Amino acid sequence: MATSKLQALWNHPAGPKTIHFWAPTFKWGISIANIADFAKPPEKLSYPQQFAVTATGIIWSRYSLVITPKNWNLFSVNVAMAGTGLYQLSRKIRHDYFNEEETAVIKE
Amino acid sequence: MSFFKTFINSPVGPKTTHFWGPVANWGFVAAAMADIEKPPEMLSGNMTGVMCVYSALCMRFAWMIRPRNYLLLVCHASNETVQLYQLSRWARGQGYLQLKEDKTSST
Repeated sequence: MATSKLQALWNHPAGPKTIHFWAPTFKWGISIANIADFAKPPEKLSYPQQFAVTATGIIWSRYSLVITPKNWNLFSVNVAMAGTGLYQLSRKIRHDYFNEEETAVIKE
Repeated sequence: MSFFKTFINSPVGPKTTHFWGPVANWGFVAAAMADIEKPPEMLSGNMTGVMCVYSALCMRFAWMIRPRNYLLLVCHASNETVQLYQLSRWARGQGYLQLKEDKTSST
């Protein structure tokens, strides 16, 4: 019983024998790379890059439900991307715009 | 005029998400171009390396999905190019691309 279910997954049109599986699966790498970069100091983060990650994540969450075959793996990974991108943006914005009082004091 | 109308009403045109998804991914290319002059210490090796593998996979993905998405394909081909360039800049900054005689210190 279990083997036939596994076989069904293995042979799925969006399964591990196809690019429909590996492109979204590897996309998790972007979110993982971003999570690894949570440790980076905010000065080193890139606004353009994080904005691109966030916008892509949001738009692609919708796109993944419209293509054939529907791709839930792609949907979930893009939700994660948008999440990590938003977090990185908030870190950098907080550092650039809400720490001004601290840096102003240090400059004096 | 009719070309324009055909484009607007195309099944992969701007009324559909098949258009805006790839447009969003041009954001990666634009971001890399904006960062092209950045000093290599500011580049993220993690993100750039991942982008290189990712765009290669997505070029294949764009080719295989239905409807076939040439806009996405071109987008990822461009991203692959610019990310590989940024990766080489990062690697050189990290000391990975030195000639053997030049290698004096480890990073």
